[in-house]
Amino acid sequence: MKENVASATVFTLLLFFNTCLLNGQSPPGKPEIFKCRSPNKETFTCWWRPGADGGLPTNYSLAYHKEGEKFIHECPDYVTGGPNSCHFGKQYTSMWRTYIITVNATNEMGSTLSDEIYVDVTYIVEPDPPLNVVVEVKQPEDKKPYLWIKWSPPTLIDLKTGWFTLLYEIQLKPENAEEWETHFAGQQTDFKVLSLHPGQKYLVQVRCKPDHGYWSSWSPGYSIQIPSEFTMKDTTMWISVAVLSAVICLIIVWAVALKGYSMATCIFPPVPGPKIKGFDAHLLEKGKSEELLSALGCQDFPPTSDYEDLLVEYLEVDDSEDQHLMSVHSKEHPSQGMKPTYLDPDTDSGRGSCDSPSLLSEKCEEPQASPSTFCAPEVIEKPENPETTHTWDPQCRSMEGKTPCFHAGGSKCSTWPLPQPSQHNPRSSYHNIGDVCELAVRPTGAPATLLDKAGKDALKSSQISKPREEGKAAQQREVESFHSKTDKDTHWLLPQEKTPFGSTKPVDYVEIHKVNKDGALSLLPKQGNNSNQPEKPRDPENSKEYAKVSRVMDNNILVLVPDLHTKNVACSEESAKEAPPSLEQNQAEKGLADFPATPSNCRLQLGGLEYLDPACFTHSFH
Amino acid sequence: MNIEASPWKGSLLLLLVSNLLLWQSVTPLPVCPGGAVRCQVTLRDLFDRAVVLSHYIHNLSSEMFSEFDKRYTQGRGFISKALNSCHTSSLATPEDKEQAQQISQKDFLSLIVSILRSWNEPLYHLVTEVRGMQEAPEAILSKAIEIEEQSKRLLEGMELILSQVHPETRENAVYSVWSGLPSLQMADEESRLFAYYNLLHCLRRDSHKIDNYLKLLKCRIVHDNNC
Repeated sequence: MKENVASATVFTLLLFFNTCLLNGQSPPGKPEIFKCRSPNKETFTCWWRPGADGGLPTNYSLAYHKEGEKFIHECPDYVTGGPNSCHFGKQYTSMWRTYIITVNATNEMGSTLSDEIYVDVTYIVEPDPPLNVVVEVKQPEDKKPYLWIKWSPPTLIDLKTGWFTLLYEIQLKPENAEEWETHFAGQQTDFKVLSLHPGQKYLVQVRCKPDHGYWSSWSPGYSIQIPSEFTMKDTTMWISVAVLSAVICLIIVWAVALKGYSMATCIFPPVPGPKIKGFDAHLLEKGKSEELLSALGCQDFPPTSDYEDLLVEYLEVDDSEDQHLMSVHSKEHPSQGMKPTYLDPDTDSGRGSCDSPSLLSEKCEEPQASPSTFCAPEVIEKPENPETTHTWDPQCRSMEGKTPCFHAGGSKCSTWPLPQPSQHNPRSSYHNIGDVCELAVRPTGAPATLLDKAGKDALKSSQISKPREEGKAAQQREVESFHSKTDKDTHWLLPQEKTPFGSTKPVDYVEIHKVNKDGALSLLPKQGNNSNQPEKPRDPENSKEYAKVSRVMDNNILVLVPDLHTKNVACSEESAKEAPPSLEQNQAEKGLADFPATPSNCRLQLGGLEYLDPACFTHSFH
Repeated sequence: MNIEASPWKGSLLLLLVSNLLLWQSVTPLPVCPGGAVRCQVTLRDLFDRAVVLSHYIHNLSSEMFSEFDKRYTQGRGFISKALNSCHTSSLATPEDKEQAQQISQKDFLSLIVSILRSWNEPLYHLVTEVRGMQEAPEAILSKAIEIEEQSKRLLEGMELILSQVHPETRENAVYSVWSGLPSLQMADEESRLFAYYNLLHCLRRDSHKIDNYLKLLKCRIVHDNNC
């Protein structure tokens, strides 16, 4: 009997198990609490993952107890957190305390307990994402636009009492970009983003985190379009800049074109040739030496251009070469019809001057390559005898017979157009000069010599002090004696010897108007009686004074006697190279500047014996 | 010789005594003693400074614990044993916002000071013991040293704040005594490791408490609950 009961029981059990197995039912699998979170340090929620349910409806229960307590509690809220969750309300939540939590899964077949988890609310804090994210594009005037992002903290978080501290972070990117640009915003609830790409659509997100805890998830993205206005502004600006610069360039080009010639001449002044002031070839041709010489000495033309045209630089002439009368083109009067050659009087020097590229080289019939210079000894006129002075002009004379410059050597000769209506065609005068050259050569056959830094010899007082003598003889004597002092066998074209130059004119006084650096004296043409006077009448104030040279000192210093009667005092100048007589520089300079109106080139200082300082003239040359 | 020495002796003694007396009377002057009008360090500045320190100390403690656990005690289940084992649990500290808001300002400040004082000795021994360990973990040691240093500063600051807010408070002598040193020196590695684990676990918790309390107090005292 007992055996039957036992076997029956076993059979039933086996049947039962078979039935169960066939049905697939089993006790529930072990659940697992996988996450607990507190959004505000005042509540927290735990979630579990149920295990296999065993084919049967399974109940889950959560049990917990706190550190230091023995009493076990059940989950107070299975609903708020969703399925398979347990929510702990404020009264159930304690900070700085370990919770020991377990979940029990129960079904008909049995129950299964999960592993214990140890949870301290302190370390499971994760807030919700920020709310009400608002993004605006702000565009202040004259500044670049920026994004202004605003948000508010998530609900249920107590920031006011300081129980909870939130820190924020922003990320944004242009719509099609791959990488986000993040900015940490600290505890503030707004933020400005300054580096923007205009014309793009931006996505903006914000998240937050407690002072010690986990970052929240990102807020939903906020799209905003950045306007592209400033690119247009840039374009307009660049267009206007381009137009303005084009206009400026055009103006510059136009100005350069107009003034190009004069600018070029400023930068590269032409080489002047020596000129003889007032040398009228026509007169020479006619044989009116007196007039010619007076013309040489007394021209008083206003300079048409550079004042330096009045002067002729120092000229050197070799023995080896035949003397030729050289006339040099300086600045030529356009009306003369000559080919204008721009000669810079400053660079007029020596033989080169005679080689000026003017028509001289073509026209001069003299065999010499370089026409010689008509040189005359310097003469210093006396103020007392204005009537009889020949001015010896050692300088070269221009074709047009421009007023001669009295130079002691190396001084520049500026030439003026001849004022006389009787002025011949330059070509004819050129021929005249050629004749003059012949004349110059013929009588002596010796090379003419220019005054060598003429002051050396020219200013012998013995000669100079004789301007009072009238008549040719006197002149010739002067010239001869003067001539005898020269180093070389100079052959002077004496007025007496050459018919053109022969003249019974009384000695004239010439006003010194400029001294060059080498001590050459440049004389102003004499004004007054001479028929060859420059057309421009002289002002009475401009009447020059003449100084009588009392003697010449060793260093070729002229010692003048001041003439106190005349209004202006003309200075006679020594011609030595670096002789240091004192002269009034300013007047000399002034004289250069405004030639026709120069009352006094140099004013003699007080005293009986005056010394002229070539330095002052030197300055004027420079 | 004796006749000459005695006056010197006397003067020397006098000098010594006067120095002793002077030393005793010297106390560090608090910044802005209560009631000082011209004081430049405001309460706000003190609280700002204190919050910075407490925040920093907790960060260090948290890192130190994580590093220690990861390296030495991962998987040993020490957490289950380190329950109710902190020496400062005897101090009645609030455990939620409501409790915290019910404590008076003065008590709250005194409490914070007590907690800080309670940690002076454990921190000192922690540094000493970690330093003496074989293959001392440098990261943990440096953090321990830093925490000890900053805790001292925080304590000074809190005492200052207390003297400003409640000048009438006498020096608070209440603090928890720590007796865990023998555990740190145990021969058994597991026991010793658990002792360190427990110490670091409690340190992390208490530093978080102090930080949270100070932020609460700052908003309450400086900003009138309107942070």
